Amino acid sequence: MTNEPMRNLRRMGISKLAWAAGFLVLLHLAAIFAGFLAPYDYAAQDRSRPYAPPVRPHLVDCSGNWHLRPFVYVTTAREGNFNSYADDCTQRVPVSFFVRGDEYTFLGLIHGSLHLFGVAESAHISLMGTDGYGRDQFSRLLFGGQVSLFAGLAAALLSLIVGLVVGGVAGAFGGWVDETAMRITEITMAVPSFYLLLTVRAFLPLQMEPAAAFGLVVVAIGFWNWARPARMVRGIVLSGRERNFVLAARGFGATHFYLLRRHLAPMTFSVLLTQMAILIPQFILAEVILSFLGLGIGEPFPSWGNMLAYAQQYHILVNYWWMLLPGVALVPVILAYHALSEAVQEKLQSF
Amino acid sequence: MITYLLRRIGHGILLLFGVSLLLFFLQQAAPADFLTDMRLNSQISDQTMAALRAQYGLDQSVPVRYLHWVKSSIRGDLGISFAYNVPVSGLIWPRIQHTVLLTGPALFISWLIAVPLGVLAAANRKPWIDRLFAGSTSLFLSVPDILLALLALLLALSSGKFPAGGMSSSSSSTAIASSHVRDVMWHMLLPVTALIIGSLAPILRQVRSSVMEVMDTTYFRAAEGHGLGRFTLLFRHALQAAANPLITLFGTSIATLLSTSLLIEVIMSWPGMGPLFLESIQARDLFVVIGSVMFITVFLLAGNLIADILLFVLDPRIADPRIADPRTRVDA
Amino acid sequence: MKQSSCLIKFAVLLCTLFVSNSFAAASTQEEVLRSSAEPGKPGGKLVITQRSEPRTFNPVPAADQTSMGIIDRLNADLIHINRATQKTEPSLAKSWTMSKDGTQFVVKLRKGIKFSDGAPFDADDVVFSFTAYLDEKVPSVHRDLLLVDDKPVKVEKVDAYTVRFTFPGPYAPAERAFDSLAILPRHLLENDYKDGKLGQMWGLNTQPDKIAGLGPFRLKQVVPGERIVLERNPYYWKVDAKNQKLPYIDELTFLIVPNQDAQVVRFQAGDAHIVSGLSGDNYAALEPEQASRHFKLYDAGPGLEYNYLMFNLNDDVTSRLPELARKQKWFNDVLFRQAVSLAIDRAGIVRLAFRGRGVALATHVTPGNKLWFNSNVTAPARSLPKARQLLQAAGFSQKQNGMLTDASGQPVEFTILVSSSNAQRAQMATLVQDDLKQLGMNVHVVTMEQRATIDRVVKSHDYEAVIMGLASGDADPTPDMNVLMSNGSTHLWHMGEKSPATPWEAEIDRIMQKQQVTLNHQQRKKLYDRIQEIEAEQLPMIYLASPNILVGAREDLGNFQPAVIEQYTFWNAEEFFWRTPAGNH
Repeated sequence: MTNEPMRNLRRMGISKLAWAAGFLVLLHLAAIFAGFLAPYDYAAQDRSRPYAPPVRPHLVDCSGNWHLRPFVYVTTAREGNFNSYADDCTQRVPVSFFVRGDEYTFLGLIHGSLHLFGVAESAHISLMGTDGYGRDQFSRLLFGGQVSLFAGLAAALLSLIVGLVVGGVAGAFGGWVDETAMRITEITMAVPSFYLLLTVRAFLPLQMEPAAAFGLVVVAIGFWNWARPARMVRGIVLSGRERNFVLAARGFGATHFYLLRRHLAPMTFSVLLTQMAILIPQFILAEVILSFLGLGIGEPFPSWGNMLAYAQQYHILVNYWWMLLPGVALVPVILAYHALSEAVQEKLQSF
Repeated sequence: MITYLLRRIGHGILLLFGVSLLLFFLQQAAPADFLTDMRLNSQISDQTMAALRAQYGLDQSVPVRYLHWVKSSIRGDLGISFAYNVPVSGLIWPRIQHTVLLTGPALFISWLIAVPLGVLAAANRKPWIDRLFAGSTSLFLSVPDILLALLALLLALSSGKFPAGGMSSSSSSTAIASSHVRDVMWHMLLPVTALIIGSLAPILRQVRSSVMEVMDTTYFRAAEGHGLGRFTLLFRHALQAAANPLITLFGTSIATLLSTSLLIEVIMSWPGMGPLFLESIQARDLFVVIGSVMFITVFLLAGNLIADILLFVLDPRIADPRIADPRTRVDA
Repeated sequence: MKQSSCLIKFAVLLCTLFVSNSFAAASTQEEVLRSSAEPGKPGGKLVITQRSEPRTFNPVPAADQTSMGIIDRLNADLIHINRATQKTEPSLAKSWTMSKDGTQFVVKLRKGIKFSDGAPFDADDVVFSFTAYLDEKVPSVHRDLLLVDDKPVKVEKVDAYTVRFTFPGPYAPAERAFDSLAILPRHLLENDYKDGKLGQMWGLNTQPDKIAGLGPFRLKQVVPGERIVLERNPYYWKVDAKNQKLPYIDELTFLIVPNQDAQVVRFQAGDAHIVSGLSGDNYAALEPEQASRHFKLYDAGPGLEYNYLMFNLNDDVTSRLPELARKQKWFNDVLFRQAVSLAIDRAGIVRLAFRGRGVALATHVTPGNKLWFNSNVTAPARSLPKARQLLQAAGFSQKQNGMLTDASGQPVEFTILVSSSNAQRAQMATLVQDDLKQLGMNVHVVTMEQRATIDRVVKSHDYEAVIMGLASGDADPTPDMNVLMSNGSTHLWHMGEKSPATPWEAEIDRIMQKQQVTLNHQQRKKLYDRIQEIEAEQLPMIYLASPNILVGAREDLGNFQPAVIEQYTFWNAEEFFWRTPAGNH
């Protein structure tokens, strides 16, 4: 291969890596700053506006005049028939930036009430519509991202740690330890994955206080899919065990744990890195599915899964399309993670 | 060959036992049993409840119950469903058939579509084709099955042209075989399509990359040099050489399909294993939960066995114990 | 001369034949029940969707609505409650007399009636059936309705068509207790009963020809997980005003469709002819299509279902669950409960959870219970200021940040448990949570699977508050005694009390026992009115709302009469007929 394709490859690799990583970082930041970016609190109900369609900020009003500042119209619902909301052309309410609104806590510690944008009380700026309680879906999507994105992340981390430990021990010690560990991973891999996920979840306590709920879901998902990382680590450790410098260290009297810690574990890191990027979307989906089936995060805390669950009801699916948006939001997230893993793989291969 | 097969089957049976043990002991953590629902009917007293409990054998110790179950399951009797009061196997068997009715055609059709397309993509390496391939498979990979199923349902409901769930209309009588078959196939259309769309991408990618690898080898170039026709070259020689990772993927795609079908069946009200399993978890119907996981595991193991046989037929090196099982090498 | 004597002989012969024939016919003459519904024409098939499969076809252990719905079409009872009028009427019993002291009940059965397999019906079948129901060794859920003060009723055969029931004491709802108690065929089940296997017979996979009953239909076919098909019982003993045999429908199919939304789709498509248990949302979605798709929707008004928020008042948790015991100091204070009740937006619940098709409740008796509803007791209007006043009087105070604290400074925080299986109840929980936030209470909602929820409420008592729903089995007060009486088996807010914990619970006990033996309806009503007053004042359960019974049927289905007691839509299936030619279905 000439140098030209190599350079192109590297350039392509970096830019893809940059795009994917950058997008994901932004997304996660948006989730962390949900309180600030969202115009409303995730639990703020407006019982007079259930299932309101998305409100569009306009620059041109009903009579065709341009305005510099975007604005929204006050929408009113026809009593008794929630399906019809109409823009009231006579009431124009401008969008304000950096407004005071619902209180939120940032990172659980700092209280704040400053929001990026908002409108006066008489109007509503639900950019993605409202749900059955009149809660703003856009705000809920952002707060829901805190759950769905980070639960997937945390579970992936947990799974990798468990896989690292189990695989490392199995590979390093060999013998019956290895055999048992491998049998157990085979048992978990013999069951189709969603069936296994539901089973694991079902046998954990089903009643969850909100604080414990997040942790429980992470534990359930984390302990669901540790088999593949474990086997991979084992494979790497097994082959790494026979390397010269490891044998030399053994000759010097190093214990298994020292070998693991100092030599074998670092070998696994590059593989695990690529694995992370593949696993995380799987884990995010697992959380979404658990919450969708009612076995994950509960009301009023939003998760993309429990928001999507409402779309199972036919009248919602057919009439209120905006309730599907949490599902659509998953697509760019998964795309980005896939692109990230491809880019990382390419980068590693090019070394 | 026979020893290899027997070894795999024995392996599978051991796995089944392991799975069943795990499941059975896990379920002891669950607090409720189905009788609590009847409690709320305010016309039932306590003595009646106690009598019903004794009848359903919930008073004996756990290990005794498990041994009992193992003995009877070897005989083919998987216990009684607490909720339905019918034998578990009788309850599950029609459901698993319905699941296979979805996943079987989905498996077949998705491979039927993906293999030729993947081979063609490998053979025609133009930049726009490559980008189209990479882009579209990326997109397909990124759309979660849950969204696919909901969109399929939306299509059915808003167009009114497709059945929105269920396996057959009540107007079709099971007596007239041909019309019933046509009716069921009509109801299968959307769920199977959703399954296929969800599983195409990884197969496409693997086919393309494996065939590309083969096309890079010397023996392939030699065959090219011999002047063999393009079609024969690609579909007979290249594909066969690329078979190893593909067969492995075949086994994996069976697993993925069985797993995804749970979600699709629940969302589209297809009477397969998925809804039964979900319901039995919620109902703490002990034997049905265990039976369901066992049945679905059996089918997965059977599918993997078929994949193993195919692999052996194509690459007999597998049976040689001196060579490591390629599947443990290729860990996706 | 010879000719006329021949003719006379011939005439006499004919007469004798005719008379002897009528005698023969009279001895096996069926004593039919004449229906007063609109007469129709026979023919056609009917499809009804059900949310789940029945568990069994055996009337003895069946306790769930789905099984009972089908069983009630296959069998008949002695005395039946007409779901439309909510009053009793003769069924297999053509007449009955009650002794003055209300303990002796003599029932005269219809003669000449056959089971669906042709075997004759008589008093032996009745005695056999009740013996089975009352037998403690045969677990039957109906036994408890035949007990007065824990003593069983006695059944004796007086003659081939007369049975005497002796109640241990005067029993006001005696007649109503017979509703839906199916009369079993002795000729098919007696041996199984003697072998102790009665409870296991007639499961879902039984051959249809092994099941027989006195109902309008008999079992034709079972397709597991899909449908149950019934066919007309040719021996059914009910006729219409024109003496045509009922039922009109040739075939009745129960289609298993677990998802309510899927049921609606089937109904829209014409796959199913009746849909029941519609949610407010689905009702609204179907409304505009009535004309174009040729069906009619019915809002039958509030049924007997009542949804409520209940606090855990059990006293056996002090050592096991100290956190809960601490919070019970709040729950036990009636001012606290009243404040919570005043803060709840019942109108919002009816609007959002029921789409307006429901009614707010003050007690467990809904306006749908025409005979017993106390119209003087109304649901409180929502008033946050009043609620705050009550809380202040009870020693609570609201801090600057809005949080409510009790007298010792602890923040008021608790969890509401709700079952995940009912979307409307889950909605109610979220609404109530938001309402109570206005008072400064920090409320968490935990959804749990149905059975696990019930287990916590009934067995482990490990919950703080719960939102549930119950439906009274009948309009009569007596079936609710298990809930209201302090020693009742479903006295949910305080289970297993040995004696009433408060004076008002003692009063409820007294009154309920009195009404059970008061035979005069006016007097009973006055007693039950007082119960409702106590409920509204003391709030053992904070009653929320009751959904209307929303159903739909094809517009050309004759005699469709939705009721507010189960089975809402097909309680009179034997009277259904198709107005348009049967070929169209």
